Amino acid sequence: MLIVLSGLKIDHTRLPEQRVEEGVAVTQVALIGADLPGLRPKLLCEQGERVTRGQAVFHDRANPDVVFVSPVSGVVDSITLGPRRSLSALVIRSEPDQPEPDPTAIAMTSAKEVRETLLAMGFWPAFLTRPYGRIPAPDAVPEAIFVTVTPDNPHAPDPRVVLEGQRDAFAAGLKAIALLTSGKVHVCQTPGADIAAGCGDRIRGAFFPDAPSSGLSGTHIHRLHPVDKDRSVWSIGYQDVAAIGKLVETGVHDFSRIVALAGPRAVQPRLLRTVAGANLQELIREETLPGSHGSPLCIVSGSVASGRQASWLGRYHQQITLLDDAAPQGRDSKRGLMTFFQRHSSQPAPLIPTAALEQALAFDVPVVPFLRALSVGDAEIADRLGCLEMVEEDVAALSLTCTSGADYGRMLRQVLDELAEDA
Amino acid sequence: MTGWILDPFRMRQRTGWTPARVTIAQLIALAAPVAVSLAERGAAQIAVLLTAALTCLIWELAFDLIRGRSLSLHTATVALIFAILVPAAVPAWQIVVAVSLGVVFGELVFGGRGYGIVSGAAAAVGFLVFSFTGTELAASSEIMALATLPGLVLLLGGGLVSWRNLVSVTVVLLIAGLVQNGSSGLLSVAVTAVFGVVFMIGDPVAGASTNPGRWVFGALAGVLIVLFDTAAGPAVAPAAVVFASLLASLFAPLVDHMAVALIVRRRRARHG
Repeated sequence: MLIVLSGLKIDHTRLPEQRVEEGVAVTQVALIGADLPGLRPKLLCEQGERVTRGQAVFHDRANPDVVFVSPVSGVVDSITLGPRRSLSALVIRSEPDQPEPDPTAIAMTSAKEVRETLLAMGFWPAFLTRPYGRIPAPDAVPEAIFVTVTPDNPHAPDPRVVLEGQRDAFAAGLKAIALLTSGKVHVCQTPGADIAAGCGDRIRGAFFPDAPSSGLSGTHIHRLHPVDKDRSVWSIGYQDVAAIGKLVETGVHDFSRIVALAGPRAVQPRLLRTVAGANLQELIREETLPGSHGSPLCIVSGSVASGRQASWLGRYHQQITLLDDAAPQGRDSKRGLMTFFQRHSSQPAPLIPTAALEQALAFDVPVVPFLRALSVGDAEIADRLGCLEMVEEDVAALSLTCTSGADYGRMLRQVLDELAEDA
Repeated sequence: MTGWILDPFRMRQRTGWTPARVTIAQLIALAAPVAVSLAERGAAQIAVLLTAALTCLIWELAFDLIRGRSLSLHTATVALIFAILVPAAVPAWQIVVAVSLGVVFGELVFGGRGYGIVSGAAAAVGFLVFSFTGTELAASSEIMALATLPGLVLLLGGGLVSWRNLVSVTVVLLIAGLVQNGSSGLLSVAVTAVFGVVFMIGDPVAGASTNPGRWVFGALAGVLIVLFDTAAGPAVAPAAVVFASLLASLFAPLVDHMAVALIVRRRRARHG
């Protein structure tokens, strides 16, 4: 009954052991267009060119100051563009014996210096604006910055474990990004010791109890600093803050990521240290169980609710979920009358209002009218009901709960893009 | 809108309600009342049930073929609710006409289950009572009321009826019963109204869809039941529940509109 009520499959697979191990060194990493909705790149490198870690490989055509850098030293393997001159993937083959770039002494004591450094060093895309969930403009000033130090699901890495041994770097990172705003920096964390203690007046710890969706930055922002089209805040993940801190302290670019390996097909669910954009096939080669009934493997970058089936680790993802893929169905498996009963539909099923829907959204928003507005793409009503406070991950649970089977995340992105163009 | 459904892998992670599962849950909830009606009314009731079910199935098949969709069995619930509410003495052709009008104009022309604005069963029974004057609906017995309760628990547990809706309609009915007939008539009110309240006024699609709206919708339905009630004594006439459900459903979008305006105003105040 509980399962029916929540509408979400309860994951009975083992929770990842919160212990960090080195992941297999991957030879390929990629910068993925799926992480950068609506971005058109201007390439700064060519296929076959040698790049060093931290070297800019492309920048945003609309904002040339926002550069994207290579997380490893190596050779540009391939560049694929998607529709409308968007980036599909830029793959870099790493060459481990290449000399490491020298640490550069970086002064980050004023807002201007921090801004210029983060832009030039490729850390700017770590920030996402709310509303719209996009990379902020180089000259934008947020009203507040939200540091997300909460796991968004039980299978995600525990931030307190990940930050162990990096607390000084994390504090240095917090102080650096605090210069970017005149407002507060909310460090949103699970109950426990304040990991932002003693960093200054404007850097505040905020505590969110363990509940579904309390790990999402959308929930934090909704509670502490609701946004609309005239009020904008930024959010950033804790691993990026620690990386910025390391840059401040040592001048070294650190693009390593600690991710949780989870799901029914993982041999040993635990935390792995790898690199942003890592090739998932390489990373999990030794980590997968054979499927029951020989079903193929489905690799998900991110969580089950909001991740995507992918071959590369997403820029903002901290989890890899290994699932059974559906067994391929023969065309003859359904015949006659059964094909009529189970016709594959490309349209969402009807929305039947159930009590579970009300619990799947953590916002003070009338759920059913909101979902109806999204389903018909009515940006005006969706805006009135508060869609500007949300991004895709906030409505992921709704998509899994609703009878319609519609992807409300994609519908929301469509509406947000429309509103962003008008703004 | 096409191509907006979830990725295959996330589709497989859903274990909650799908339209087919909702239909099955409603059919299970209706099983006990149907059994009671069969026991009470005998063989004639089987004819009513079959006529209504067959009519529904034919229309559903026709619409699903035209629209190129897979077959949904939701109209079977319409047939069951209809069969429980109408007496066994109604001629078969009247049942065919009423059920056809009810499912087609109550549900199928809007796109089927989940898209309509009134409860299909209420529409069918309403058509029957309006078109063939003199038709008296079957009054609910104590056993029928008892048989409704397991279904009520199932639907409430699964979140398929809104408790806000049910609480507010019950409160209005009890207060009205208390004022009119004193506390002795309350049981009679509950027995005669419970089936219609659960399966027609509780319909999640036809009712209001915002939480403040559900309170208002339930209260409105309760008041309408009291207004339409023509039965002497404390008992509630079944037709009163049917017409209250139909009229309240027509007001549900207005109620929701006002509730949304209220919520939006509250948001604005909070944002400052």
